[in-house]
Formats: sequence, structure tokens, C-alpha cells
Amino acid sequence: MAAPIQDDMFTADAIADPYAYYGRLREEDPVHWNEKYELWVVTRHDDLVWLTRHHEMFSSAVFKNDRRPAYPAIDESDLGLYEYVKNYQGSQFIQHDRPDHLEMRRVMHGYFTPKSMEAWRPFVQAAVKELLDAAEAKGSMDVMRDLATPLPVLVIAEMMGVPREDRPYIRELAEKLLYIGRGEYDRMKPLTEGMRGMIDYVSPLVDRRIVDPGDDFISVLARGEKQGVFTRHQVLVNTSLLLLAGHETTINLLCNGTRAFIDHPDQWALLKQDPAGHAKRATEECLRYDSPVVSIQRIAAQDVELRDKVLRKGDRLRWFISSANRDPEAFEGPTTFDITRHPNPHVAFGSGTHHCLGATLARVEGQEVFKALAERFPGFQVEADELDYQPSITFRSLKSLPITWH
Amino acid sequence: MARKLRVWVDQQACVGNAMCEAIAPKVFRLNDNRQSEVADPAGDSEAKILEAAENCPVSAIVVEDAETGERLFP
Repeated sequence: MAAPIQDDMFTADAIADPYAYYGRLREEDPVHWNEKYELWVVTRHDDLVWLTRHHEMFSSAVFKNDRRPAYPAIDESDLGLYEYVKNYQGSQFIQHDRPDHLEMRRVMHGYFTPKSMEAWRPFVQAAVKELLDAAEAKGSMDVMRDLATPLPVLVIAEMMGVPREDRPYIRELAEKLLYIGRGEYDRMKPLTEGMRGMIDYVSPLVDRRIVDPGDDFISVLARGEKQGVFTRHQVLVNTSLLLLAGHETTINLLCNGTRAFIDHPDQWALLKQDPAGHAKRATEECLRYDSPVVSIQRIAAQDVELRDKVLRKGDRLRWFISSANRDPEAFEGPTTFDITRHPNPHVAFGSGTHHCLGATLARVEGQEVFKALAERFPGFQVEADELDYQPSITFRSLKSLPITWH
Repeated sequence: MARKLRVWVDQQACVGNAMCEAIAPKVFRLNDNRQSEVADPAGDSEAKILEAAENCPVSAIVVEDAETGERLFP
């Protein structure tokens, strides 16, 4: 008989290979009550699509509506810090339900249309070229440090009109904010440091845009304050959110995608035959195969029946992109990395009203990076015995990806 | 007289973001799958329909001149 399902999602095995852990749940108990963390774990593709499209049944205002304590447990002396975290997170537009969410999203939505993001492609191309020129001259690179991190930080900082010299500082703060999806007992300290640092950093930028708006993204948020949609605190938090969301997830797409190509030389060879021609579908397959975001949380807004389970109002649940994107009911040969896969109904950006605001930008960055890598480099090998991931159930983040080429 | 439009939503692409419905609620409505479909292609002005199409995060909305077949979006 198979071993019973263990409920610690933060074990080394589950972090290293979420596909095995959540894949087993998907097969054996697709709506699983995780006793250890007191939450529902939803792993099937069709369930994920259904629940994300029924936003009235599943609240995104997780920090406002979650009555249970933080999980994994935190140091008791940090409970005050946790209140700060809840208040900060709760001010993010993604942590709102309709009608507020729609009103907030409409302030920003127009900035991120496919057409306006397409206009950034030349900027992205130039930035990729510059970074790869530097790497090529060196003869080796850490994809994380030398390409995947600076590129999206450069792009989002440019969109926000953030001074070039401040970018390393933003990255430093962002790394502290990433403790949100992690399990360390003492994670509240770095997390709140990151949050306070971000607020302090963006405050004067927002002050300036209120008085003297431009066409940058902070000015878009400042306009939302003038319209009465956002409070000043919400403008500050959402500026920080976009600075973070605008790059962390893209870093994962670029690193995890590069790793997938290294692990699948046949698909790399295929990409090299026609980099421009394959870039779009290849990027979609990278998004599906090793998705940047592992899981997202909701709170049941009412009693809901899902498969043979009843979720009670107030219950928390997490839906797992990582397992939905490997669901054999939705994808033929789900464990195969196939850069020509089409259609590819992956849910890397979620679905429904909360579908990722920056999806097109992430796609443009992915396409340009994979195309440029295939055009310029023969092939890569990893210069490390083992590749480690951050202990997070929110993000699928490599710690580093050192490579050389022949 | 405003020209007649042919408007449809690619169901393979639509992710149910519902921004089109928020922008032009007489033209677009969500079906049982919570995907957008066209209720009335004459339900709002051409400008509003094009705004909805442009704001679709996955460019699932197609707009054409019904008489000439000219593609207006994407």
C-alpha cells in the first residue's frame, strides 16, 4: 500500500519536485484537506479554471478574511509584525473582490493592454542584447544574476520612472518581500523590513507624480488617488506590488525556461532552427512546464461543494498552478516539454477576473530572451552539482543558475 | 448611421477576465463557462466595442466591418 499523503508542503522533496507531490494529490485526492496547515489544496486544471472564474464564491481578500493564524507558524513575539503584514498585503489591489477590485483594476488595466505592452518590445530587445553582450564577453553567466534579474527590473523600473542607480536597492527590498510565500519561523522580520523599505522608497516618487504627472506607471496610480479609487497608502502599496510582481515572476519564467531547454537538448535544437518562429509557443510551453507561480490562495466566501467535498465559508484554499499545468486531462503528454504544443491552455497567469495584469509583458520578455539565447549561443551546461529552489509554495524560484557554453 | 459590425470572441483564447463586459455590458456577456460571448454587436458604439477589444488581456475579441469584412481588431 502506498504511504499516506503527508501534509508538510515545505519538505525538501516537495520544494525540489512539486510535480511529484501535487501530482499525487491530483490523482488521489484533488480537493484535499491539508490538516497541518488547515487549508484545502486544489490541484486539477478544470477545478482551478472553475474556481478562478467564480470569484464571488472565492474571495481574493485573503488577508482581510482569513481568521486563522499565519502558516507555517511564526514566532509569537512577531504577532505585531504579522498585523502589519496583513494590513500591507490587504491594501494590494489583487487582495480585493468586486466591486472594489474592478474599479482598482480599471485604473491600471489600460496601461497593460497587449497593444501597449507590444510597444515595449524594442526596449526589451535592446536590454537583452546589452545583457547578453556582457555575459558573452565574460564566457559564463549566472542566468539568475546576469540576465533574469536585471532584465525585468530594468523594464519595470523604466515603466515606473525609477532612477537607474536605485535598481539594485529595489531588488534588495524585493528579496525581503519574497518571504511572504515561505516557511521560516522568523520570516516576519525581513518581510516587514522589505515592506517598510518599499513604502519609504516609493513615497517621494508618488508625491512628485501627484503634483507633476507623466506617462509612467506611478502617475497612473497617482491618477487613481485623484479619482478617489485609491487612498495614498494603497497607491504606495500597489506601486511596491507592481515593482515586485513586475519582476519576480518573470525571473522565474526566464530561469525555469532556460533550465528546461538545458534539460531537453532536442527542444533546444528545435528552437535553434527557427528562434523567431518558435519563440511564442516555446514561451507558452515554458510557462506551462515549470510555471513561475506555484500556487495562489483564496478564502471561501460561501459554502461550496467541490467534487465530493464541502468547503465551508471562511475556509482557506490554495490552487496549484504547478499541478494543473501537468494535468493529463488537460494536456496530452503533460510531462513532455514540447515547444510546439498548441493549443496550450495553461493557467500560469491564472484565469478569470484576477488573470495576471502583466501577462503580456512577461510573454514579451520571455519571447525575446529565448529567441536571443537560441540565436547567440550553441548550447549550455549547468556549472553546479545541484540546483536549489527557494523554500516557497508561492513561487518556483531557483536560487541561482550558473551556466557555461561550448 | 453607424456601420454594422461583426464581433466575436475566440473561446479558445478567452480567460474570462470580463473586462469587455465591464466596458460594454450590452455587447458582451459571460456564458455558463464564465467566458465572454457577444450578446448584441450593435449594443454600444464602435468606439466602445474597440475599447473593449483592446482591453482584452489575451486579444480574444475580433471586430470586423460586417459589410466589407475589413478587420478592425486586432
